[in-house]
Amino acid sequence: MVDKEFDIVIVGSGAGGGAAAKELSSLCKDGISIALLEWGPKLREEEFTGREVEMAEKLYFDGGGFLTKDRSMTLAFARAYGGSTVVYTGTSLTVPKQAIARWNVPGLDWEDVRRRSEKYLKENSVHLLPDELINDNNRLFQTACGKLGYRVEQFPINVAGCRGSGLCNLGCPNAAKQGTLRVQLPQAEKNGVQVVTNCKVESLETDGGRGGVLSARVAESRDGVASAWAPGEYRVKARVFVVAAGAVNSPALLLRSRLGVALPALGRYLTVHPALILVGQHGRAITNYSGHPKSYYCDHFAESDGFLLETCMYFPFVTAKNLAGFGSEHSRLMSRMDRLQMILVLAIDPALRENRVTIDGEGNPVVDYRLTPGVRRSLIASMRASAKILFASGAERVHVPAAEKFFIESSDAVRVDELVQDAHFKTGKASISSAHLMGGCRMGEGPAESVTDAWGQVHGLPWLYVADASLFPRCAEINPYITIMALADRVAERVKTVGLKTMAAAR
Amino acid sequence: MYGVRMTGFLSAISAAIVPEAASLDAAAREEARGIMDGAIAARRPALRRQLSFFLFLLRWLPALRFGAPLDRLDAARQDRALRWFQESPVALVRKGFWGVRTIVMMGYYGRPAVGEKIGYAPAKNGNERLRGR
Repeated sequence: MVDKEFDIVIVGSGAGGGAAAKELSSLCKDGISIALLEWGPKLREEEFTGREVEMAEKLYFDGGGFLTKDRSMTLAFARAYGGSTVVYTGTSLTVPKQAIARWNVPGLDWEDVRRRSEKYLKENSVHLLPDELINDNNRLFQTACGKLGYRVEQFPINVAGCRGSGLCNLGCPNAAKQGTLRVQLPQAEKNGVQVVTNCKVESLETDGGRGGVLSARVAESRDGVASAWAPGEYRVKARVFVVAAGAVNSPALLLRSRLGVALPALGRYLTVHPALILVGQHGRAITNYSGHPKSYYCDHFAESDGFLLETCMYFPFVTAKNLAGFGSEHSRLMSRMDRLQMILVLAIDPALRENRVTIDGEGNPVVDYRLTPGVRRSLIASMRASAKILFASGAERVHVPAAEKFFIESSDAVRVDELVQDAHFKTGKASISSAHLMGGCRMGEGPAESVTDAWGQVHGLPWLYVADASLFPRCAEINPYITIMALADRVAERVKTVGLKTMAAAR
Repeated sequence: MYGVRMTGFLSAISAAIVPEAASLDAAAREEARGIMDGAIAARRPALRRQLSFFLFLLRWLPALRFGAPLDRLDAARQDRALRWFQESPVALVRKGFWGVRTIVMMGYYGRPAVGEKIGYAPAKNGNERLRGR
């Protein structure tokens, strides 16, 4: 067992951990020692091969197929230097005012979140792609939404030097996507933060009023560069800890820990934006896997029906597994991927106490999540709207996971509402997934119903903060990553102005 | 042994789930099986035990209806048997089947060489193809 001591330790290097590390790194020049511990590897540039199964196994927990307890949904979240920012598509939106209003966290106002979000939009080179770099898959969606009268917007994305590989979700092979691995972490390290990869944090506990102490294990480097610390067991003390391990692993870590305070809301109120893919087949090849995969979204139905639609383009295995079926029809659709147009539907789900993260006997996270009837209705409505968009785009046939037959032909396009029904929407047959994991350590007023205050400090523990999507009291209603960074920015500010001073006084 | 038996059976029924699997050469079949082995080995022991049990049911329940285990049925009967699992009124059975088909599809579609067969050919400089339109 090796003992280490720092002033601040951050757990996790994704959107939250990376943002916090960079913001806190300005303290290093004043002699404050900071370490960031990341479970996953730091891959070398040449290791981003774009090979689907290989990269999924290297980057994602459970290869991208982490299953919920009842096996009805797969969750996609990453472990790597950069966390899930290595594998997201980089769509960058500021959280809507009404979403923050619905969060209803005393001390958290939208204007502050907006201001901090703007900072990260700038820092991450967020901009709109020019028209000539929009591929057919995206353009067809935009045009069809226009025809149908659905409000459609272009996604601003965080890229610099994007060459359009379309492999964003497997790690950008062109070093173009401006996740924390390219922006915040290198800056933090330059300023003096020590980043330790291949380091799994097992548990935390109070260090007798002087802060906290965690136990961690550094594994051998199978992929990427060697960790800064030798393989082995570590005990790490710090005055302040910032946990940013994501909405599954942050609650799981705290649940494994002996914190000495009662936090009945820990792990609870998980939201995930449950998602499904629809695929339309055109009679000719279209540009779909070339170019950025996600240029447009439709929030026309967000308030009325509780769903969002996004363009998307996936890889052979992910596409295959997301189709509800097998055999000859499935093969027929898969045989010409260059003719496929895809839409991702996401439901805006409620924050329910019973949707939660717990741990099993070995301390591994277990996610218990059930779709509500309201979310099912949203998903049905989203599939109907998407099928109409695909037909309006000129698709000859459309695969809808909640239709009775594998294909709806264009001759039946007018019958979409009749053919897509809840009775055909069977969990275990339809592939439901999520890459927007939120909640579990939610912000709020007190420990009965929340885990942290509006600044991410865990109730009753002045040495412990949370700085990731697990803070969200409800879903973000948009892609969450910029909001995560804005909240982590707040947490870093509080650590600088209050947290360190409080713990210094305690010593 | 445990895993070898599982992927042996999955390889035997692959063509019922992905018809093109029937035309894979020996090297490609081995590659597909290696991908499936890796996927199963990487899962937690509890999930592997559940999968093993479900594969046992998948193999032998059709015998009650068709008189032979799944891997010894003809293509038409295999298809009917698998659709019974996929459409089962019992969610747990559907989910078990989903897991099986996912592993088989990973074996077939997870091979890098599959791209040229299905019109999927990404490139690092994909934007060049857009500019060429």
